Amino acid sequence: MFIALALVVLAAGLLWLFGGQSDADAPARIVAAAVSQLPAHRRDWGRAMAAELTHFHGRARRWQFAAGVLRVVLFPPPRRRNRALLVAAAGLMAAAAATVAAASEVPGLAVFVAVLGLLLSGYAMAVTSRSPRARPTAPRVMVGVVALGGVAAAVATVVRIAAAHPAATTDGTHVFSILFALMLTGYLAFALTPPRLGGHANSDTVLWWALAGALASGVIWTAAALTMPPTAMGVIGYLSPVAAAATLAASAGASVAARSRRAGVQAGLLTGILAAPLHFALDLTTILQLHHYTLSSAYDVAAYPHSGYPDVASYILSDAVAGEIVSGLVLYPLTLLALALLGAVAGTGVHRLAARRTTG
Amino acid sequence: MTRIRRPSARTTAVLQALAEEPGRWRYGYELCSQLGMQAGSMYPILIRLADRGLLETSWETERVPGRPARHLYRLTGAGRAYAGAVAAAAGTASRPATASPSVTATRRARPRLGGA
Repeated sequence: MFIALALVVLAAGLLWLFGGQSDADAPARIVAAAVSQLPAHRRDWGRAMAAELTHFHGRARRWQFAAGVLRVVLFPPPRRRNRALLVAAAGLMAAAAATVAAASEVPGLAVFVAVLGLLLSGYAMAVTSRSPRARPTAPRVMVGVVALGGVAAAVATVVRIAAAHPAATTDGTHVFSILFALMLTGYLAFALTPPRLGGHANSDTVLWWALAGALASGVIWTAAALTMPPTAMGVIGYLSPVAAAATLAASAGASVAARSRRAGVQAGLLTGILAAPLHFALDLTTILQLHHYTLSSAYDVAAYPHSGYPDVASYILSDAVAGEIVSGLVLYPLTLLALALLGAVAGTGVHRLAARRTTG
Repeated sequence: MTRIRRPSARTTAVLQALAEEPGRWRYGYELCSQLGMQAGSMYPILIRLADRGLLETSWETERVPGRPARHLYRLTGAGRAYAGAVAAAAGTASRPATASPSVTATRRARPRLGGA
């Protein structure tokens, strides 16, 4: 019920956020949003494609054109083709080596490692294709470090579980392995190369607020994990008051400071993106610290004997890993995005109110 | 002997379309319609050709109310020469092997401009 409400708020917010051009249809909005993400030396081509869309008539043709533009934006022709190919080759070799190592040491994670390696190689190639990039600022470097640290912690935690309880990470359908790899790559891509929702002038403001929100919630959750006795439920839910407060504060603060609701939304979303892998790792690490695993619900007591798991620990950890991937990495950021929208609206309202009082 | 990489069939088609009336400015919609190509294929080709100095680009100067200015394209001098060379090479490849080895080698020994 709560998730459905969050999704409704999210959909309404996105429509409101991107609904400024009331005469533009969805393909035109997609093309306009996509071409704004092109690197500086390709901006003219973005304008060219956006201008050409006006000559395509009929819903199907316009959607086809928009899809083509998305393809160009995602994989623009590399300026340094050889460098991009070199990066792709190195990434593929590293992915192959990691997959072989995983198949030998933690077989249950081989598919996850292979998919993650391929996705990261593709991302590295796309980033190389889009160069040249501006020199990174201090907050951008810090966001990158926190994002890489969070993803590394999430992967390391699952590897620890796979090493200690191999049956817990066996994924016969590979659905969770692929979803986990997709989410981690998406998080990294968003944190390392965020879309320019807030504009260049506001990008550092957005990054500082997001860093503050993510680190504050991470510190509080770490303190809770260290001081509270571990339980099989972990220390967090997918929406704790701490995460909600951090997201609201970051989005409202950034929207006031940057005088932009889009900057506020981006700060709130980035807060969730940075915090989610950290929380994922913290929660599973807490569950891994348990010395005795016991089944607490009647459903689990009835289901465990038929589950095929060799021990209760594997059963509980398998459930926890799958639950954390779905709730912690998919539903959690969606819910926080809805809160980020609310925070940005609140921040914009506060700013307007303050401006009226000043002028009045 | 320097071996060159031939451009893809789509790049060859774009080059030939642009070379039909080399002095005339063309635009994306027209090229997409003429060749039945999607924007996702057409624009990367145009971008690569422009990066290599084979394609000249310009913006429409006559403003039409209600729509933004269009981006226009035509081959540069080097582009025309390359399009001619590609067309000649394609003709050679499609013909039975009647040319002498020395002639074939000369035709292949062109600067490396392909890959688009």
